[in-house]
Amino acid sequence: MEEGVHRKEMEIASQLFINSIIAGAIYTMIALGFNLIFGAVRFFDMGFGALTAVGAYSVFFVTREIGGSVMMGVLAGIVVAGLVGHGAYRMVYAPLRKRKASDMVLLVASLGVFTVLQAVIAMLFTNQFRVLSQSAGLERTFHIGGGVITETQSIIFGVGVFVSLALFLLLSYTLFGKQVRAIGDDEEAAVIVGINTSRIIGTVFFVGSAIAGLAGILVGYDTGIEPTMGLGLLLKGVIASIIGGVGNVYGGVAGAFLLGFAENFGIWKISGEWKDAIAFALLIVVLLVRPKGIFQR
Amino acid sequence: MEYLIHLSILIGIYAILAVSLNLVVGYTGLLSITHAAFFGVGAYVTALLMVNTDINFFVALLAAVAGAACVGAAVGIVLSRFKGDYYALVSFGFNIIVFSIFLNWQSVTRGPLGIPGIPRPSLFGYSLSSNSEFLVLVAIFVAVVYALSWLITRSSFGRVLKAIREDEDALRVFGYRTHHYKLTIFIAAASLAAVAGALFAVYITFIDPSTFTLTESIFILALIIFGGLGSIEGSLVGAVALVLLPEVLRFVGFPGEVAAQMRQAVYGMLLILFMLYRPQGLIGEYKL
Repeated sequence: MEEGVHRKEMEIASQLFINSIIAGAIYTMIALGFNLIFGAVRFFDMGFGALTAVGAYSVFFVTREIGGSVMMGVLAGIVVAGLVGHGAYRMVYAPLRKRKASDMVLLVASLGVFTVLQAVIAMLFTNQFRVLSQSAGLERTFHIGGGVITETQSIIFGVGVFVSLALFLLLSYTLFGKQVRAIGDDEEAAVIVGINTSRIIGTVFFVGSAIAGLAGILVGYDTGIEPTMGLGLLLKGVIASIIGGVGNVYGGVAGAFLLGFAENFGIWKISGEWKDAIAFALLIVVLLVRPKGIFQR
Repeated sequence: MEYLIHLSILIGIYAILAVSLNLVVGYTGLLSITHAAFFGVGAYVTALLMVNTDINFFVALLAAVAGAACVGAAVGIVLSRFKGDYYALVSFGFNIIVFSIFLNWQSVTRGPLGIPGIPRPSLFGYSLSSNSEFLVLVAIFVAVVYALSWLITRSSFGRVLKAIREDEDALRVFGYRTHHYKLTIFIAAASLAAVAGALFAVYITFIDPSTFTLTESIFILALIIFGGLGSIEGSLVGAVALVLLPEVLRFVGFPGEVAAQMRQAVYGMLLILFMLYRPQGLIGEYKL
C-alpha cells in the first residue's frame, strides 16, 4: 500500500517533468521570437501573440478546407504568420517609430493589432475550439519513467531545440545577426554606419512572427486551436523572456524552462486551472527581486 | 424605450469605469491595464453579499468599495516599483491573476457557472426593480463620480498628479513623495471601478468571470483613449460612443456573432488609428 502510493507519486512526478519540458519548449520558441523583435525595436509587441493563431488557422485552412497536405499547411502557416507580422510593422509600428512615439504608444497600438487579428480570425473561422490533428487520440505514445509523451510532443521538443540552435547561429555568425544586434544597441549609430535599419527590422519582424506562427501550429497539433489562443501563449512567452532578461536570447530559453517547471510542478497539489496565476505570480516575484530578469546583461 | 434605457444604464456604468481609469492613465500617466479586475472585485463582493445575506445594496456597495480598495492597495504597492511599459505589463498580470481567481476559486465564486439571482437594490423598503428607476440610480452615481473626479483634478492634489505625469523626477527633487500620490489615485480609481461593478451586478442580476477579462480592460482603455486622455468629459464621450457603436453595427444587419467580433475588430482598429493619428484622443490633453 505504502509502496503503491510512492510509485504513483513517482509516476506523477515524471509526467509533470515531461509536461514541463514540452511547455518549456513552446515557451522557448515564443520567447525567442519575442526577444528577437524586442532586441531590435525595444518595445513590447503584444500583436505578436495573435500570430500564433494566424499560423495555426492557416494550417487549418490549408489542410481542412482546401485539402492540402500537412507539410504544405505548416509551410503556409509559417509564411503567412511571418507576412502578417511584417505587415503590422510596415503599416503600424514603422510610422509610429519614425515619429519617435513613446514605448507606451507602441504598446497600445500593438494591443490594437492583437485585438484586430484575433477578431478577424474569429469572424472567418468562428469562435469554436477545433483540433488540427486528424488522428486525435490515436497517436503513438512513448513511455518514459512512468510518464507518457505523444509523438506530437516529441516533435515539439525537437523543433524547439532546432529553432533555438538555428536562431543562435543566425544571430552569432551572420552579418544579419550582427546588424540586428547593432540596431538593438544603438539604432542611430547603426544608420550612420550604413545599415539599412528599416529593411533589417522588417526582416526581424518576419522571422520573429514566423517563429510565433510555428509555435502556434505545434500547439494546435498538440491540443487544439481557438482564436483566443494567442493571448495565453504570448503572456507565457513574455513572462519567460522577462524572467530571463528581456532581449537576452539565452535568458529567454532559461526563463521558458523555469516557467514551464514552475507552472507544472506548482499545480501538483492544486487544480491545473491555476497555471496562469502561478505564471504571473512568478513574474511579479522575479521582477520585485531582480527587476531586469535573472540573466540581465 | 426600454432598449434605450438599457443602453443608457450600460453607458452610465462604463462612464464610471472610464472616468476612474482616466484619473490613473490620463492624469497621472500610468498605463494601467487591469481596470476590469477591480470592476470584477466590486461585482463579486456585491453579488456574494446580496445573494448570501439580506443586507441592503448600499451596505454591500460600501463593502465592495472597501474590498476593491484593499486589493487596489496591494496591487498598487507592487506596481509602484515599475515604470512605463513594464508597469503596463505587470498590471496585465494582475488582471490575469484576478480573473483566474474568479474562475477557479469555485467554492466561493462558483467558477464559470457564475452567480445568478442577484436581487435588485431597494431603498427604504422600496425595490428599484424597473429599469427606469435603476437608470436614475446609475445617473446619480455617475454624477457623484464625475463630481469627485472634477474635485480631484482641480485640487492641488490633482496638479501634483499632472506634474508626476509630466516629470516625476523633477517633482521628487522638490520633495514630493510621488509614490504616495500614485498609490492614492490608484486606490481611488480601483474603488470607483468597484462602484461600477456593484451597479453592474445588481443590474444584470447575474455575473460570471467572462465579463472581467483582460479584453474588457483593453476595452475600457479604448474608451478613454477614444474620448481623450486627461479629460473627464472625454471619458464620458468615449463611453457613449463606444457603447453605442456595436448597437449601430447590429442595426446595419450583421448577424449576432459576427457583430460581436466586428465590435472587437473596430475597438482594435480605433486603438491603432488613434495611436497613429491622434494619440491624445478626441478632446484629450495628454499623449502617452
